[in-house]
Amino acid sequence: MPPKSFNVGKERLIDDEEEPLQAVILADSFNKRFKPLTTSKPRCLLPICNAPLLDWTFESLSLAGVQEIFVICRSHADLVRAAIRESKWSKPSSGLKIVPILTAKETFSPGDAMRDIYTRGLITTDFILVNGDLVSNVRIDEVVKVHRERRKTNKDAIMTMVVKESGAKHRTRSRGDSAVFVLDAESSECLHYEPVTGYPPKTQVGIPREILAEHPEVEIRNDLMDCSIDVCSVEVPSLFQDNFDWLDLRRDFVHGVLTSDLLMNTIHCYVVKEGYAARVKDTKSYDSISKDILARWTFPLVPDDNHPGGHAYEHLRGNRYIAKDNTVVLSRTCKIGNNTLIGSSTHVFDNAQVISSVLGQKCKIGVNTVIRNSYIFDGTTIGANCVVENSIIGAKVHIKDKSRIERGCLVADGVVVGPEAKLRPFERVSKRRDTEVGDDDEDEESEEEEETEGDDQEEDDEDDEDESEDEDDEDSDSELEEAEANQAAIGATLGEDTNAIAWPLKSTEGEDSDADEMETFDNQRLMRMGDSASDLELTDPGSITSSEVDSDSDEEDGFMVSRTRRASASATSLPLTTPSTELLVPPLASAMEKEFQSEVSQSLERAFAEGHSVDNAAVELKTLRMSTNVPLRRVREAVIAAIVEQIPIVEGNMAQQRKEIANVVDRWGELIDRIGGVDAVETVSILQTHCASSQRLPLFGQVLAALYQNDLVEEDDIREWHRQPASRGEGMKPGTFSENMEKCWAVGTRMIQQFDEQEESEESGEESEEGED
Amino acid sequence: MDFSETTSSQPDIREFVAVVLAGFGNELSPLSSGAGGEPSPKALLPIANQPMLDFPLAWLEQSGIKDVILICPTAHRQAISHYIHSSSSTSLRIDVHPYEETEDLSVGTCAILRHFTHLIQQDFVILPCDFVPPPSLPLSSILNKFRTESISDGCMSTACWFAPRRSEQGTIPDEWGQYEFSTPIVYDPVTGTLLHVDTPDDVDRNGDEIELRMSLLTRYPRTRLSSNLQDSHVYVCRRSVLDALAQKPTFDSIREEFMPWLCKVQYQRAKRERYGSVLTPTTNTLNQNVALRHSTTGAPNDLFSLKHHASLGEKNVAYSAPPSPTSDEDNKGADASLRVGVVIHNDSSEYAARANTLHSLLELNRSFLTKAQWTLPTDPKDRALIDPKAQISSDSIVGESTRVEERTSIKRSVIGKHCMVGKMAKIVGCVLLDHCVIEEGAKLDNCILGKNTRVGNKAALSWCITQGGYEVEAGGSYKNEKLEISDWAAGGTSSEGNDGTSEDDEEEEEGAEESGESED
Repeated sequence: MPPKSFNVGKERLIDDEEEPLQAVILADSFNKRFKPLTTSKPRCLLPICNAPLLDWTFESLSLAGVQEIFVICRSHADLVRAAIRESKWSKPSSGLKIVPILTAKETFSPGDAMRDIYTRGLITTDFILVNGDLVSNVRIDEVVKVHRERRKTNKDAIMTMVVKESGAKHRTRSRGDSAVFVLDAESSECLHYEPVTGYPPKTQVGIPREILAEHPEVEIRNDLMDCSIDVCSVEVPSLFQDNFDWLDLRRDFVHGVLTSDLLMNTIHCYVVKEGYAARVKDTKSYDSISKDILARWTFPLVPDDNHPGGHAYEHLRGNRYIAKDNTVVLSRTCKIGNNTLIGSSTHVFDNAQVISSVLGQKCKIGVNTVIRNSYIFDGTTIGANCVVENSIIGAKVHIKDKSRIERGCLVADGVVVGPEAKLRPFERVSKRRDTEVGDDDEDEESEEEEETEGDDQEEDDEDDEDESEDEDDEDSDSELEEAEANQAAIGATLGEDTNAIAWPLKSTEGEDSDADEMETFDNQRLMRMGDSASDLELTDPGSITSSEVDSDSDEEDGFMVSRTRRASASATSLPLTTPSTELLVPPLASAMEKEFQSEVSQSLERAFAEGHSVDNAAVELKTLRMSTNVPLRRVREAVIAAIVEQIPIVEGNMAQQRKEIANVVDRWGELIDRIGGVDAVETVSILQTHCASSQRLPLFGQVLAALYQNDLVEEDDIREWHRQPASRGEGMKPGTFSENMEKCWAVGTRMIQQFDEQEESEESGEESEEGED
Repeated sequence: MDFSETTSSQPDIREFVAVVLAGFGNELSPLSSGAGGEPSPKALLPIANQPMLDFPLAWLEQSGIKDVILICPTAHRQAISHYIHSSSSTSLRIDVHPYEETEDLSVGTCAILRHFTHLIQQDFVILPCDFVPPPSLPLSSILNKFRTESISDGCMSTACWFAPRRSEQGTIPDEWGQYEFSTPIVYDPVTGTLLHVDTPDDVDRNGDEIELRMSLLTRYPRTRLSSNLQDSHVYVCRRSVLDALAQKPTFDSIREEFMPWLCKVQYQRAKRERYGSVLTPTTNTLNQNVALRHSTTGAPNDLFSLKHHASLGEKNVAYSAPPSPTSDEDNKGADASLRVGVVIHNDSSEYAARANTLHSLLELNRSFLTKAQWTLPTDPKDRALIDPKAQISSDSIVGESTRVEERTSIKRSVIGKHCMVGKMAKIVGCVLLDHCVIEEGAKLDNCILGKNTRVGNKAALSWCITQGGYEVEAGGSYKNEKLEISDWAAGGTSSEGNDGTSEDDEEEEEGAEESGESED
């Protein structure tokens, strides 16, 4: 909850239209989809159509009339700062006030950045939150107006997300990272947010039934592109402060706010029908957004007008853009295709072809070279007879003669390859470190630290490789080290004169159980430039999904369907990726639960040992549950197990034993109902299951009696439990476990008999409890 | 399937056959319970003095459909046939087919449909006997949607959902049974496609969330989820839908199981692969057969199949070799959308409902009252039965041959035929079926009285429903009750007790009546 002063401030501001519009740019991407291009500069400074992304973002914001911008930078902060200082926006005439904010190295997620914003107290009014890789011509000021208008009547509407209508299969809409929005048909209030990953494919979307009670007509939209432009109220950073486990703006914050029963806040969507807005989230969107800019979808932000880098281009037929300053040298025999942008001082030599590509400034394209669907940054030289297709080539790269770079390669700044280099598809190449050690000190994208834990493991696995040279303790870039270690294995033909190393093709992070499901390798493939992922196509949401789930929803069809599906799957998909990843998913989930169980038992042990209050223990459990997202039943199981195991066993002294039980249950029993839901019948059956598989089987009756005395379990609940066939151990394999279950059930039977007798003879409840024991 | 016999014996080609399902109406008990061993078929319970069956039949007639298969329980056959043959005004050809069913052990609608499959040789319309369609929604508009879409993109079926008018909660006592809740559905408003129907099974499986397949959302990225629509149980279906039904022997209810399943076939690939060929055996069999029959060549079957493949655009198929079954299947799956269309009727100004609960029966009667303009009957015999000193408000309906005696007041009520309403009786907001006898000074408000109900002197009923033939003793007073003959014997003693305690109730009712009067 925001401090009081904020509320007061905000109320004043709503009346005061003159308040400067503030914006916050998260200039760090918090992921590494552009590696290794981002080893020497942050993503927001990568050029798209020859202007840094950050400048496109500034341009978009200034179009919306923003006056004050805070740029939150983390990795390569000084580069970002220098870029801001030098950009045209920091000139007094621009009317923009840009403040770079350097956050701590420990900021690993947008959530951390928001907490940082809160602690610094930067924000005084409603603000626009965008990422540093935004290209947009949307009138964000309209959204701000709508948002403020709504706030006047509804104080709980804390955020407005800008989404763009695009269709489910729009090229700029990422297949690997999209979402389903459930909106109120009238007010476009966002009622449910469901993130969708491309692989493993999401099969189902669950829409909470409770939203239908208040919103009988809702729209389910799978055709919206999330522009990541949010108009936030001042409370938003403070909410992050209160919920320290929120990391992602969408999957944690939006989901958290919408599902929370404590926060009464609402989030709205603003559906943009006209205009353009997209984020360069990955190389695929880099590709599609570049094409969109060249195709003038972003008008008035186009290369020949309002170019954010301040360049001047001449717009020729077929969306060809040539720098205007007469420094471009095009050979008479070269061929420039449609949708191409060529920066100043670039030479294209005889018979070279440049098709649907962007060339930076001062590039040289050699004789007979073909450049197709590629992006080449400033100062790069490409020799004669080369082929570069569907790739991104960094700045000051030298590709020597007769090299072939095809399909989805990323070549980092300063790399030299060739002659006759041949890069495999999706090869990622960067400069070897030891050639220029000094350069590396700053070379960390934010996420590398995040990675270390996983990579340490990885290194253990890879120990057989020669790692003798990995002495460089200052730089913890283990992935790079690993890449170096694996050079021999990769054996890419990078050419004689190369200074480059190739990165492992399959990123290791997918195997890391901590890794985000968004970042698994196969999902990342959907975000890769030039990767049609046709071998994954089968699993594209919408085709195979249906049959998979079909088999369990429709028992009678089950056999047939699953058989046909498997047959078709093996027939059409590459065996390489599909089976392994299919196996990968369930262990992940169970690992999550296992981890949760150990966490809970630790947390409870601590609580028991240190004598926390029930309240505190409950809060801790709730947080744990939220962070791991396990079902409530698991929590209950863990709590009951912990409580039962907490009871010391006293041999041979019934009275003493009873006292011990009463002690524990009196003190901690309440916790069972404080974990976020009350279900006494389930409590009894969990207690039974636990006792049946534990040393404390003889205690079942007494614990149950103690729960009953503490009003945690009512008589009706016990009867209900007793009625359930599962309680009798039905349907279980015969063995000690089911015998024990039966024993417990028998105890319950006795208890119920006593209840009945008690009713008849109208004895006091306590006596009957005594008798029970 | 060979239609040649049917078509040659009957020169006129029937496009649709209507299947009207009439059940017991267990929800309408005790009105539908019958009296004295004589059944009281639900289909013949009146709405505004017209058997409810008339509404769907009139709707059918208006749409041009001629053939009706009326399926009813064996016990009701006689009454329903009698009614149909006695009212000769209709141009429909109605075949009444009985099925064995008892009130306690009801047969699912799917089973009934499977049982009568042999009677249905063409595309068909299923409709319930209790749907009172809104005037602005002719059946032909639903048929037209089906016609267009089944030809253009292989639509399988067209359903009709409507927005019921929300009655104020709490006005109707709980004793009347549950109000029919609407079912959440997902549909595409642009193309009018029904995509998902929430079923009780879904609720059992996941009570917190409505689960939707991503394949649905990918195919239809912008859909609407609505929870305030009701199923009219009107389905226009292709004949081949019955073949699919035959393959799903476990299905019991059309509304709760089969239609939701049919929706899923649209977008679940495995189901498409499996049932696509069943659902679209040879496109437009009937039309093509008809065309062949009219053609001069007397086409043999193989020519027909050639035409069929050509129509699918398979120009490259070598006709000498039979196409492999798999490729054929694929084609059908890919070609036909297997869509389930839906007509959403969302006009709150009109009242549409299924008269399958007591609430909706009462509401439907009242909705007709708003349009009623009661005047003295023109027939002098009937006019003579109405005492000039009786007060009958204009928003009432009084059936023929009904006697209304002096100083009786009737407001907002439907009085059946051949009733007797005694002196000083007050009837407000009630529905009286035929042959009721209301004795002197009785007070009725918001009641539905079954056939032959007799209400004794100065009895007072409020929010009560009586079984046909029930007799309320003189001076008896009841509130919020279903009065059934079976507990009649016990009623004598209990109502004594009631009498003692219900003084207050009566006063309240009087108060209510007075206020009602002042409103009028």
